Amino acid sequence: MIWIITIIVFLSSLYGIAVLERWSIYREWDFGYPIKVFSGIFVQEDIKPRKHDPTFFETAPILFIAAAFLAIGVLPFAAGVVPAGIATGALFVNAALAYIMVALLMAGWAPNGVYAMVGGWRFLGQLIAYSMPIVMTITATVMRAESMDMLKIVVSQAGLWNIIYQPVGFVLFYLAAMALAFLPPFDLPQAGSELAGGVFAEYTGKRLLLFRLGRLVLIFSLSLAITNFYLGGWQGPLLPGFVWTFIKTMLVAASLFWAGSFTPRIRHDHTLEWSWKYATPAALLNILWVGILLLL
Amino acid sequence: MVTTKIIFLTVFGLAAIWFGWRVFRTSSMVRSALSLLTCLTILGLIFFVMQAEFLAVLQVMMMATEMSIMAIFMMMFMMDPGGMSGMDMTHQKNLSITLGTIAGILVIFAIGFADWGEIVVAVSDAEQQNRDLGMEVMKRSMMIFETAGTSILVAMIVAAATALPFKNKKK
Repeated sequence: MIWIITIIVFLSSLYGIAVLERWSIYREWDFGYPIKVFSGIFVQEDIKPRKHDPTFFETAPILFIAAAFLAIGVLPFAAGVVPAGIATGALFVNAALAYIMVALLMAGWAPNGVYAMVGGWRFLGQLIAYSMPIVMTITATVMRAESMDMLKIVVSQAGLWNIIYQPVGFVLFYLAAMALAFLPPFDLPQAGSELAGGVFAEYTGKRLLLFRLGRLVLIFSLSLAITNFYLGGWQGPLLPGFVWTFIKTMLVAASLFWAGSFTPRIRHDHTLEWSWKYATPAALLNILWVGILLLL
Repeated sequence: MVTTKIIFLTVFGLAAIWFGWRVFRTSSMVRSALSLLTCLTILGLIFFVMQAEFLAVLQVMMMATEMSIMAIFMMMFMMDPGGMSGMDMTHQKNLSITLGTIAGILVIFAIGFADWGEIVVAVSDAEQQNRDLGMEVMKRSMMIFETAGTSILVAMIVAAATALPFKNKKK
């Protein structure tokens, strides 16, 4: 029964995120949009570019969606409900997300096309820069919980959520999550107006579907990660844990789309500059801040 | 249970050797880097089979980032990164093969004749392993890790500092 509820929470969140994505672009609510797009791309002709790299071309979409699913695998949906509870869960989230980078590097290289390649290398530069704040802010939440087990990290926030305890860490993780999911204003790897879709430019049909679906799963996994690391996970009054997880995750996902729609696209060198020069030192200071609080 | 583990270790070990071999069979820097990544990720899976969970996850995570960084640097600085111009980027082949063979034989001897002590069948759970590792890092090995950590931090600051556009400010 618990696993059926978990799957329902997951699928309804995915559906909600797809509707939100549509809203963030066109500012209209279209609840049939996910089904229309799914069926449209599913029957689309599979076109392969000439002289593509077949191994990477086929592996990239599968690795992309698999990495996003793996990150969800260790994140709790309610008290004691984790698809795969491991003692190093917090580190595993980061490990799984690192393969998003590998998948998009492959996707950029494989089609042997200019737009895809520029998009792929841009994404690689972006994610190498932003994986530093991600891993350092996760470290600070682990310090507070004194464990890498995701359940213990959520329980450690029973008195005070990490968003209050370590606000700098939250802001950094939130921005790095946007960069990782290449959401506006960090959407240069895809850059519709400039690179005609970037890494996804040469993909059609079921492979494109895997990428589109994988990105939704990725946004869900990042929203769920923010919920668990900073917003107290399933904890909340009156309502059951599953409902709190669903509400928080959806609000985080909505805020990710909403925040991006008010900011102009950031230049690539500025994106990298902000991470290496400001976000990484700030993440180190966040670790120091949490260390001092723990010793007080 | 032990038999299943040995089967997994053998399959993963052979796969790691295969992908390690593939690294040298291509002229494309990206294919080479990703073959090496696959090889090292499989080593991470071997750690999983050996119930060293932290080491396994760390290996899987670090290698993805490191090999991607290697790929982007090779793309930037190699003369024929795609391997499409037919450039031979190897050199000192005989010396490399000789040294590689000697090192390989020495390693096999070391593995075969080293005293490994008793084989541990049952290991402590992952949570306890993490705790033990933390204690080790923060007590006996603290100086080593602090030195390494400070060195990496200094390298990061230096890298960021050298990227600053001071050289363009002509007085």
